[in-house]
Amino acid sequence: MRQAGIYSGILSGGISGKTGPHSLPLARIKKIMKKSGGGGGDDVKMISGEAPIVFSKACELFIQELTKRSWMLTLQGKRRIVHKEDVASAVIATDVFDFLVTLVSDDADPTINILHHQNGNTS
Amino acid sequence: MDQRMSGFHRYRRHAKSSLTHTGLEVSKVLGVVETTSTGTGINNAETKLAGDSSTNTASGPGSAARERALVCMVREQDQYMPIANVIRIMRRILPSHAKISDDAKETIQECVSEYISFVTGEANERCQREQRKTVTAEDVLWAMGKLGFDDYVQPLTVFLSRYREAESDRTSTRADPYVKRAAEYGPPPVGIPAPYGPGFQMGHYSNLYDAPTNPAAMGGYFRDGSGGAGPSGSSSHNALATNFDPFAHYK
Repeated sequence: MRQAGIYSGILSGGISGKTGPHSLPLARIKKIMKKSGGGGGDDVKMISGEAPIVFSKACELFIQELTKRSWMLTLQGKRRIVHKEDVASAVIATDVFDFLVTLVSDDADPTINILHHQNGNTS
Repeated sequence: MDQRMSGFHRYRRHAKSSLTHTGLEVSKVLGVVETTSTGTGINNAETKLAGDSSTNTASGPGSAARERALVCMVREQDQYMPIANVIRIMRRILPSHAKISDDAKETIQECVSEYISFVTGEANERCQREQRKTVTAEDVLWAMGKLGFDDYVQPLTVFLSRYREAESDRTSTRADPYVKRAAEYGPPPVGIPAPYGPGFQMGHYSNLYDAPTNPAAMGGYFRDGSGGAGPSGSSSHNALATNFDPFAHYK
């Protein structure tokens, strides 16, 4: 993994605060990306070096947004502890998080999401 | 302890969703571990497997299954971002008195992986339609915009172009760029690619090089440098022009 000290100082200081070069491990991101294809014709074949880097930042933004929204629901419930139910409610309340709905509802099978992607469906 | 076992329950679901040629039997072995909360979980796994396969004993083939189960449980962590990193990012945005339950942490950890898969799937489809083999950063950004994450596109574009500049800076000059720039305060040697973001304002030089104004996000990039940045000549304009390309797609 690249370790550019100057680079990390510039970027971290500007956007995400004091962290290492990347907050999230690039190799792990790449592994998850590789598994995104459902198998067969739509396997992810090759990934440019920059794509995981974009994701490392995007996942930060994603985690922050989801956490913020969950916390607002925690506050509404006059609590101080963010529970899974708050996360689930935040997901349901946010259109852009629709793809997570089955994941946060315990009894549903998340493979349904994967099948949607394979068939090119977007609901 | 129970919390972790409930975590394994979720690993089962992800095992099913992500395993293709690695074999579904692995996911089955994983799946039944959820039903127990003690060390005898593995034995119960084999018992429950009896419904699926013919063996019901804990010897011979059973111990192999036990090993497979243990190996798979460990490997499943590969599907997620490390939870410590996830928690760190969460804590940055929450007030200091806020607390996060373990199941909330795990849920968000799973959501991140799902997010990556979701966006990558869309980006990959586009690559296939256009008959390209490599999923690029632009594909990822495009997919995010298409899937409704357009709020992220602008900051990510900025992040990406800063990264690219830093990379070209790092690979073109072997030494510390700040030191090198300090040494080149005068006329710069030819051929140094201009790593300076647009909007670079060195008051002293601004009447010589009219760096175009740019999105405010890039403005502060080099302002806090130790003042040793020597601007390049006309090459900076070309570099600035090419640097703007990543933005063009996302206007």
